[in-house]
Amino acid sequence: MHIPPWLLYSILTLIAWGVVGLLQKLSTNYISAESSLIWLVVGFLVLEPFFYRGPAIFHYSTINLSYALISGLLNAVGAWALFASLKSGGKASIVAPLTALYPVVVIALVPVLLHESVPPLQWAGVGCALIAVILLSA
Amino acid sequence: MSEILQQQPTGPLLQVRSARWFWYAIICVVCWGGWALLSKLGSREIPPDTMQFLFTIGTLPVGLALLIARKGRLEKSGRGIAYGILNGVLSGVGGLALFAAYHTNGNTTLITATSALYPMITVVLAVLILREGFRPIQALGLVFAAIAIIIFSL
Repeated sequence: MHIPPWLLYSILTLIAWGVVGLLQKLSTNYISAESSLIWLVVGFLVLEPFFYRGPAIFHYSTINLSYALISGLLNAVGAWALFASLKSGGKASIVAPLTALYPVVVIALVPVLLHESVPPLQWAGVGCALIAVILLSA
Repeated sequence: MSEILQQQPTGPLLQVRSARWFWYAIICVVCWGGWALLSKLGSREIPPDTMQFLFTIGTLPVGLALLIARKGRLEKSGRGIAYGILNGVLSGVGGLALFAAYHTNGNTTLITATSALYPMITVVLAVLILREGFRPIQALGLVFAAIAIIIFSL
């Protein structure tokens, strides 16, 4: 079995965020969801000195720099909207699986924006992954 | 009859409340979908560490807006704060790995679908550490997740 680099990195993400899910449960036992999001951003900031590469940053194209910045903004707004949904009366058992379906947006737009295609067998894997996410979050 | 009449006004109100939470959830889905797509687009040129650096700057306005909305008042629970910060550090490490995955030019759909399987780890850890109940539906979810990862590795 050949494990491609993208899969290894994706699994590393999956493990790290899986632990984050547990820590999120633990943190909201002591503080509110909004405070948890604020301290999460502080946690991001702790890593900043390790990732700063000096003025070399400005050598990248403006459009890609914008994509990176807006991706952070959208991620945080999405997290806020999730909390807002729960606070507005949404049941966690419905809201969690619903919001876990964000890859559907990516799957719908990738062929148009990136002109990438997915082999038929891999589509079966994508289907299994989406079913898994719904069942695990339910 | 009087009971039915009394209940009638609450129906539409409940519907409005339901609609609000539903639309917040849709905003979340759209934002996270956009976040994943823009992460891929930026990662075509920018290396993972710089992507994570810039991503964090992008999250600051929301963190500050929440802080202002709360008038700077945050709960003083040491444990809560520690878990919250650790959340951010691990989220950052996971984000770095995701940007690295996108940077390899791997298939965006497959990377996004794989990384979105993170609840499988949370479910297992919640059972092992928090002693939460393990429901059959979650076991089925783990089976589907395992099949997905095996197919992706073929």
